[in-house]
Amino acid sequence: MRGTRVLITAINLKWAHHAANAMTGFATSVIGCGVEAGIERELNADETPDGRPGVSVLMFAMGSKVLMQQLETRMGQCILTCPTAAAFADIESDEQINLGKNLRYFGDGFQTSKLINGVRYWRIPVMDGEFLCEETTGMVRAIGGGNFLVLGASQEQVLAACETAIEAMHKLPNVIMPFPGGVVRSGSKVGSKYPKMFASTNDAFCPTLKGLVNSELSDDIESVLEIVIDGLTFEDIAKAMKVGIEAICVLGKTSGIKRISAGNYGGKLGPHHFKLHEILK
Amino acid sequence: MTALTFTLKKNPQFKVNCSRLTPNDLTDLSLAQIRNLSLTNAKNSPKVVDYFEVYGGDTKNIIFKNSNTQLNFIGHRMSSGSITIEGDCGDFLGANMHGGNIICEGNAGDRVGDQLRRGLILIDGNAGDYCGSRMLAGTIGVHGNAGKYAGFAMKRGTILLKNKITPLATIQDCGAHMLPILTLLFNSFKPFSTKFKMIKANRVQRFAGDLAVNGNGEILVIL
Repeated sequence: MRGTRVLITAINLKWAHHAANAMTGFATSVIGCGVEAGIERELNADETPDGRPGVSVLMFAMGSKVLMQQLETRMGQCILTCPTAAAFADIESDEQINLGKNLRYFGDGFQTSKLINGVRYWRIPVMDGEFLCEETTGMVRAIGGGNFLVLGASQEQVLAACETAIEAMHKLPNVIMPFPGGVVRSGSKVGSKYPKMFASTNDAFCPTLKGLVNSELSDDIESVLEIVIDGLTFEDIAKAMKVGIEAICVLGKTSGIKRISAGNYGGKLGPHHFKLHEILK
Repeated sequence: MTALTFTLKKNPQFKVNCSRLTPNDLTDLSLAQIRNLSLTNAKNSPKVVDYFEVYGGDTKNIIFKNSNTQLNFIGHRMSSGSITIEGDCGDFLGANMHGGNIICEGNAGDRVGDQLRRGLILIDGNAGDYCGSRMLAGTIGVHGNAGKYAGFAMKRGTILLKNKITPLATIQDCGAHMLPILTLLFNSFKPFSTKFKMIKANRVQRFAGDLAVNGNGEILVIL
């Protein structure tokens, strides 16, 4: 996978979030959305290049071409359009991809560039003033699809446990959980009875199919949710998984959580294997 | 290594061409070679030692001390490094500059940054006429007053002024604005010891031009 980080600032955090939420919308899975993206963290005004509050966004794709194309599209439709928003590179790499390099043509000849300390910024006149954007950002090798499953006695209890895990994991750098609220209910298996489908519901973990399939679920498990993690390195994802699982374990027996598992797809989906027992050591 | 320092020994009767005293031209020269360097290509050109006491060794970081308005073409065609002028300087400061930084702690003469292509010129005092003339890009800051015809025939680039000017008829008033780029620009001034470090505002009156040459440059007057 390839990943990049973009820093989005705005007049206040509310508008930085509006921009970042739009940019990371419909970006839950590379399979259907092209990229997986999410808000990594909030930044104070003293942490950003233009002295305004902001958020950092991580974006991942299966290849560099898709990442470049998706980044440009999302920048154009979500950041350029958002009042007061500005975008900056936030990852160092020899491999650079376009951030505002082509967006500048929206300026119709009135765009201007400014080279400050060796970094080129584009200033595009827009109706609320100027859209400021760094020319390029870095692209790095990254890892997607780290995951663990939370199995429990009820839907409410599993969801509450996942929320606790996500809250703890959000404090970590270099990772995002791209699904809604960081949690996914439609875990999948490879293949399907329908030839055109290359992935379908993970029936072994569907509680309503316990009697019909070779189920992985015991009688006391009524609901399963998955947390998927994308990160810049193996260690980042492993740490996030550890923090998330430990946050759930702290809840204790009364939380209704019976098991923590993970989808490994026969060990064939990707080169990286996150073995839960090793991560938790 | 201390900065390469040129201290003016006497007030020259004529204008002194300092275009060769840049980081580009002095790299790899010994102190003795620099002292004996001819200031121009003319047959009877004066040498550096005729006007300046020279000491220090860091050719990337040049200081002019005791300077005055007779010193022309300081920073001419420089593309990297830094020049600090502790005093006034003459005309064509940073002309044809391609990069690097020039800090003038006093006043500068006419044609500051003429045909400037890249780099930063900050003047704590006043600038003469035709400041930023024929500018192609880069940044000029004048903390004092700028003379007449600022931005004459500028194509691109930024002239940042602390005080109001009467712009050329072909440089149009685009109104007062908060520009996010100014924060980045002022942050980039922080390493330098100039009066620009004190400026906090990012609201400016923006003038654009020079339309006479279909230019897209700007003069920003801090409000």
